[in-house]
Amino acid sequence: MRLSFYQRHADKIRIFLFILIMFAITSPIILSYAWLILRSFSVDMNGFIPTKLTIKNWRFLWSEIKGYPNIWKTTFNTAFVAVMVMLLEMIMTSMGGYALSRFDFPGRTSMMKFILVLHAFPSVSLMVAIYYVLKYLNMLDNLWGIILLKAALETPWATWVMKGFYDGIPWEMEWAGLVDGYSRFQVWRKIILPLVKPGVAVTAVFAFLSGWSEFIFINTFIFSQEFWTLSKYVKATIGDFRFADYGLLSAVGVFYALPTIILFFFVSKYMIKLTIGGVKG
Amino acid sequence: MPSIRVVNLKKYFGKVKAVDGISFEVKDGEFVALLGPSGCGKTTTLLMLAGIYKPTGGEIWFDDQLMNDVPPKFREIGMVFQNYALYPHMTIYENIAFPLRAKKMEEGEIKKRVYDVAKKLMIEKLLDRKPGQISGGQQQRVALARALIKQPKVLLFDEPLSNLDAKLRMMMRAEIKKLQEDLGITSVYVTHDQAEAMTMASRIVVFNKGKIMQYGTPDEVYRNPKNLFVATFIGNPAMNLIRNLSYIRKDGRAFLISKSLHLELPEDVAKKIEEAKKQEGLVLGFRPEDAEIVHEESGLGFWAYVYVLEPLGRDLIINLKVSETDELIKVFAESGVVVDKDEKVFVKLRPEGIHVFDSETEELIV
Ligand SMILES: Nc1ncnc2c1ncn2[C@@H]1O[C@H](COP(=O)(O)OP(=O)(O)O)[C@@H](O)[C@H]1O
Ligand SMILES: [Mg+2]
Repeated sequence: MRLSFYQRHADKIRIFLFILIMFAITSPIILSYAWLILRSFSVDMNGFIPTKLTIKNWRFLWSEIKGYPNIWKTTFNTAFVAVMVMLLEMIMTSMGGYALSRFDFPGRTSMMKFILVLHAFPSVSLMVAIYYVLKYLNMLDNLWGIILLKAALETPWATWVMKGFYDGIPWEMEWAGLVDGYSRFQVWRKIILPLVKPGVAVTAVFAFLSGWSEFIFINTFIFSQEFWTLSKYVKATIGDFRFADYGLLSAVGVFYALPTIILFFFVSKYMIKLTIGGVKG
Repeated sequence: MPSIRVVNLKKYFGKVKAVDGISFEVKDGEFVALLGPSGCGKTTTLLMLAGIYKPTGGEIWFDDQLMNDVPPKFREIGMVFQNYALYPHMTIYENIAFPLRAKKMEEGEIKKRVYDVAKKLMIEKLLDRKPGQISGGQQQRVALARALIKQPKVLLFDEPLSNLDAKLRMMMRAEIKKLQEDLGITSVYVTHDQAEAMTMASRIVVFNKGKIMQYGTPDEVYRNPKNLFVATFIGNPAMNLIRNLSYIRKDGRAFLISKSLHLELPEDVAKKIEEAKKQEGLVLGFRPEDAEIVHEESGLGFWAYVYVLEPLGRDLIINLKVSETDELIKVFAESGVVVDKDEKVFVKLRPEGIHVFDSETEELIV
């Protein structure tokens, strides 16, 4: 019996086809990023072909551009919001998730149902109410206002996700720690928390990214240029119709996306382990 | 080492009475097994002894000290769990050293002790590995090492061998027993495997549905089961039971009868049944080794027919039925015995091996 060409290479061909299909599906995203990067280094584009290369579009990195705040100050603001949201969420969800998973307190079940419902509401619909709250707290035009707001809106859901990770840790692990001579808190810190590290990492990454990419609240509640973040900066480059500088827009856009891409390379290891509400092996 | 005394201990989870008023004691240095089917409250009892669950009622005493409100870390206990509960993110060394670190012991002393106990349990080559990189049997030894390292006064085992294969289980059984004898640590050992309890423990607490069915030495619970539950739970093959018997006295002679069976009773057994004032609903029990298959009627016994044979090499188990509707009866015979399928044979009982139970209360009458 002779095997046909297809039969001899069936596995390889199948994988090749699979990759081809995946590429076709993801190409709109990949191509738009490619276009963006090319555009940021060229004077103009002829379709996908840069007409003339330049680094002038990146001038915002080393010189002040009229009408815009300093890019490094803006970047610092963005990172500050992202890191603070991340830290707040990490602390609250790693403890809250444990409590939801392990303690049987009154109202636990209804709290968990409520979190789910809460998550279904778009936070934009709260805008007016938030305005009054921030105003009352004297936190309008203040990055801390944004930070607390983001953390408050996201913590319930992230806590729910962390609960899933804690649910996967057997009780015996905890009992063994108690028998070994530690208090409940020590057991949590030394045994349980290290075991849900992938969960904490995932929560942290999502919190960081959501802080990094926050736009609506910044656009609404931040007025002074000194508190701008990168999303607002990008918006400004788009919104300026007097001279729509696509070169500058592309360069700022790439600059803004860069940390996100780098971060994903570092944490993809943890991301892969994430099944909804738990870790494997 | 302390003795343990449990008085009327209870643990309810809402409506579920996991442990429902049990009392027993474990002597200083004794090895006691808690034996019962799955879900009968053994683990719950052990966790109360460890201080992890708070009793709903009752008392736990270590010597003359009431332990009910003492947290686990002050109880000086070591515990081995069914799934071993090793900490996956720590090396074996760190796992074993973990209880000592809680005591803020100095590093040199920790190292010495870890190597000592690792050597005793033959795991010194594994100290650098993580729990995920060693076999189940080795994990078992590490769990044992971690329980022993702080030199506990009480050892608690929760089905420590049930995840091992049969051969390893037999080996560890002997090893744990020897270890406990050498160290003399008061031990409570939970298992659902009656063979494990029989071979390892000096006394057995037989559990069912949160209550104690019997507490005694392996020999006592085997020879003199106090009720039907203990009679059937202990021993392999289980004790033979013939149900729905009635007691009658005819011409001065005493009988247990049913539609298909007619058994004359010795006078002392008959007296006891009369004292209990029970005529109906009696259950006859006898162990497979307390009967003998013969071909003609002789002494105490009844007729039955051969159902199927199970050769075991040295022995042979003969399965019999008194009639089509009755339960199977198993009798040990030497492998030389010749019987045919469907042959009618006489099951001759040893008078000391006869037990009679009341099917209503399930209690032993004789
Ligand atoms: N934390 C708990 N919450 C509710 N019910 C429980 C809990 N732990 C055990 N039970 C119930 O108590 C009974 C005894 O459980 P357990 O002690 O684990 O049995 P065993 O160890 O003998 O198999 C079971 O019916 C079990 O479902
Ligand atoms: Mg159990």
